[in-house]
Amino acid sequence: MFEFLFKYPGALFQKGQFVLLGSWPVWVLGCAVLAAAALLFWHVRRHGGLMGGARPAVIWMLQTAMVALLLLLLWRPAISVATLRPQQNVVAVVVDDSRSMALEEGGATRLARAGEVLGGGLLDALGKRFQVRLYRLGREVERIRNTEELTGNAPATHIAGGLAQVLGESATLPLGAVVLLSDGAENSGGIGRETVAEIRRRHIPVHTIGFGSERPEKDIEIGEVSLPSRALPDSRLTAEVTFRQFGYAGQKARVAVRDGERVLASEEVKLAGDGAVNTHAMAFDAGAAGPKSLRVSVEPLAGEQNRENNAVTRLVQVRETKPRILYIEGEPRWEFKFIRRAAEEDRGLELVSMLRTTQNKIYRQGIGNPKELEDGFPATAEELFAYQGLIIGSVEAGYFTPAQQELIREFANRRGGGVLFLGGRMALSDGGWQHSPVAEMLPLRLPDGKGTFHRVQAGFEPTAAGLANVICRLEENGARNAARWKKMPLLADYNETGEAKPGAVVLIESAPSGRRRAPLLAIENFGRGRTAVFATAGSWRWKMLQDHADRSHAMFWQQLMRYLVSESPAQVTGGTPRPVVSDESRVELRADVRDKEFRARTDVTVEARIIGPDGVAKTTELAPRPFEEGVYAADWNAEAPGSYVVEMVARRGQEEVGRDVFQFRREDGAAEHFGTSQNRELLEKLAEQTGGRYFTAADARKLVGEISYSEAGITTRETMDLWNMPAVFLLALLLRGSEWVLRRKWGMV
Amino acid sequence: MRLRYGIVAAMAVLSAALFSFQAGFREFQTLEDNPSVVPPDANEKTEFAFARLMYPSGRWGWGRRGSWPTDYPKADRQFVQGVRRLTRIHTRSTEQVVDLDSDEIFNWPWIYAVEVGHWNLDDAKVKKLREYLLRGGFLMCDDFHGTYEWDVFMAGMSRVFPDRPVVEIDNADAIFHVLYDLDERFQVPGIQYWYSRRTFEKDGVEARWRGIYDDKGRVMVAICFNQDLGDAWEWADSPRYPEKYASLAYRLGINYIIYAMTH
Repeated sequence: MFEFLFKYPGALFQKGQFVLLGSWPVWVLGCAVLAAAALLFWHVRRHGGLMGGARPAVIWMLQTAMVALLLLLLWRPAISVATLRPQQNVVAVVVDDSRSMALEEGGATRLARAGEVLGGGLLDALGKRFQVRLYRLGREVERIRNTEELTGNAPATHIAGGLAQVLGESATLPLGAVVLLSDGAENSGGIGRETVAEIRRRHIPVHTIGFGSERPEKDIEIGEVSLPSRALPDSRLTAEVTFRQFGYAGQKARVAVRDGERVLASEEVKLAGDGAVNTHAMAFDAGAAGPKSLRVSVEPLAGEQNRENNAVTRLVQVRETKPRILYIEGEPRWEFKFIRRAAEEDRGLELVSMLRTTQNKIYRQGIGNPKELEDGFPATAEELFAYQGLIIGSVEAGYFTPAQQELIREFANRRGGGVLFLGGRMALSDGGWQHSPVAEMLPLRLPDGKGTFHRVQAGFEPTAAGLANVICRLEENGARNAARWKKMPLLADYNETGEAKPGAVVLIESAPSGRRRAPLLAIENFGRGRTAVFATAGSWRWKMLQDHADRSHAMFWQQLMRYLVSESPAQVTGGTPRPVVSDESRVELRADVRDKEFRARTDVTVEARIIGPDGVAKTTELAPRPFEEGVYAADWNAEAPGSYVVEMVARRGQEEVGRDVFQFRREDGAAEHFGTSQNRELLEKLAEQTGGRYFTAADARKLVGEISYSEAGITTRETMDLWNMPAVFLLALLLRGSEWVLRRKWGMV
Repeated sequence: MRLRYGIVAAMAVLSAALFSFQAGFREFQTLEDNPSVVPPDANEKTEFAFARLMYPSGRWGWGRRGSWPTDYPKADRQFVQGVRRLTRIHTRSTEQVVDLDSDEIFNWPWIYAVEVGHWNLDDAKVKKLREYLLRGGFLMCDDFHGTYEWDVFMAGMSRVFPDRPVVEIDNADAIFHVLYDLDERFQVPGIQYWYSRRTFEKDGVEARWRGIYDDKGRVMVAICFNQDLGDAWEWADSPRYPEKYASLAYRLGINYIIYAMTH
């Protein structure tokens, strides 16, 4: 219809420039239109005596528009556009040859449909006007002679890399346009700005032709799986599994976490509506120390089109370390005793405590040697930062020197440790903490003034976030966990608290009789570490008021203490931004190196020893990263698929500063099974950003008419008259017709 | 009918709510062995209160009162004055009498039982005391002497813990060092010392500091056998009672409390 009315395709108007070919200047046209308008105004006023109201103005406007249109046509309007010279330009036709293109829909594969489009006249039509270079696209592009060489077997689709390669290969050729036939299932993390900028710089339009349905009929696909990369032995972990489904709304599916053949957790979940995101938290035990390769899956349902996207692998390094937590308590109290008991039951933790039993005596427990904490609370960063976690009980802020308060803040901020503040009669607001520099790191705002501690038994309730959080997971099953929390005895006391700060997560709320609810347990990330407030000293009743075999109290405290320390970094921390790479070989190895005060260290050498799946060890040296103090990095080529173990050692001369071990995994053939629906958004955006256009397979024939309009390659500028467009005649007819109809209606003719 | 069920349900919820709350200070004036003035802050809510175990005694001449209130309440109130003055434990000025018949005992993780050489525990109380100790409660037993009273005590305690032996607490145990170093201990006599000048009673010539441990090596039951710390606390204000005995009694009692609050 557009072409019928306007004579030329829409692309011409988008890319062309509007010009007036008449020999008279444009200002004369403006004056003529104004003069005509004035003359008509005079005419209508003089002869419009029978018309009242706004009618003369309407007639005047219609007549003026008609005269203006006629005058414009006298100035010969036209459009000027650059077009590719026939037989002198190259057009690159890039066909996605990845496995997702081999998916069958409606009786034919996407690749077969692409072949039909190309063989059905597109290639011939392009070949008549241009030199056509045909490529197939996988992880890279490869030039092919004809469509029969397409296999649909490439393990990945790297559109950005492929386009860059096409541009590179044709740097000396008059490349006029690129035609990309794809489902848009890109696996390299999107098309980067650099690639788009390079294409735009060369003015090469990329036209895209999309294949594949935009939503599957029946499929479940796992998306994100949020799981910590490091854990302590026997820790309870929570995997937050996100997946989408189509065609199974309201049905039930089983989500499972497996370590090899062993099922660590398995739960049945009810599926949300089509396309909606399902999120489910699965709690399980991390088990013994060692590298774990966990398979998180949603069991396939009957009739699923693609069963390969129902599971993903995640790596967890269960470290054989025993983090040490320093607990300072200002007065003997039952909470202290039962926290210590919970810690003693946990073989993965070491609780070192200092308790002010009298005004002048500190009772130390769990110390490594008689000298430890002999002089009281640590006064140097080196001494305090040797611990991974810190618990501050019923101790006034004033007990600590300003320097020690700053150290407590830096314990989380710089050292990356976890700090927990407990309730009590000398804690939180009653201890004056709201006016200390430490207040900034608390996840809650504290009320002003004292008298916020109440030795009154109080109820409480975990929030939805709390019930899903590993700290409050007393049962692996969500419903049973909620039921168990409902049966917990009242707390012996509580502290009033203020609202949670932005970014903090409230896990439990206190619900004291006759008072408003307030955050009881809240957590927050602060700097490199974590902070928490548990505003009571009365959780010991969870132990004393329940059967002696009940482990609720111990589990809660062990999980809370593990939260504090499980991610506290050592002086040397190694890792990679993507522990599981799909159909890729490049892996970035990174190390963060700190001194004993956890300041960035720039005077060391860092070496990585990598043991590949074949058992062969190789070494590489990491180089300091510019602008990232203390960070060293290297690119490593993981040649074969499988698991890799990396040991990083940082040295200063002969002295070893520290070492760390982590793992990563290369998986081949997995990426193409995810995101298999047509990514129309990506294809449209690529076309739009490069000056091309997106076509569906059915519209692809229109491409031939539009591809010539390009400013790349060898072009010629064409000027096309617009005066003879059918739309012009229709407009003239409409203006005169409207006037006639109105005059008839008003009884003037 | 519905209304009746509703009332019954509401009463059940109310009773459960009442029983779930910790009881406050209560006087047992008719049972007082040595009356003492009730301090003005008797009802203060504190972390620690001196919990005295109320238990049934045997036939041995205690009448209706029983043996549990021996030295009560003066010993209790005088001892906690020392606890308040010498430590940072937030302590109530009055005692808390806890009946083993109720579940109230679980709100008081440290409890004192006197004259346990005369206790007579039925099966329900035996079961409750075992559960209390396994959950983390601490029992201090005091003021019983000689073979006969030991046998009576053990008749009850061996039913509480048939599988756990009573052992002598080693000098190196933290319970003797948690605040005061008490390597050199001696027999603390009762009030009978005034006229007999003997530190022992009956055939309990030698003082023993015994205990029952849990699976993690922590003392659950501290047994002060052939000694009378309760009398020492009770008469610590009397010039006739030697200071050295009162002093050791206070130190032992405080160590036992702090131990119970740290282990």
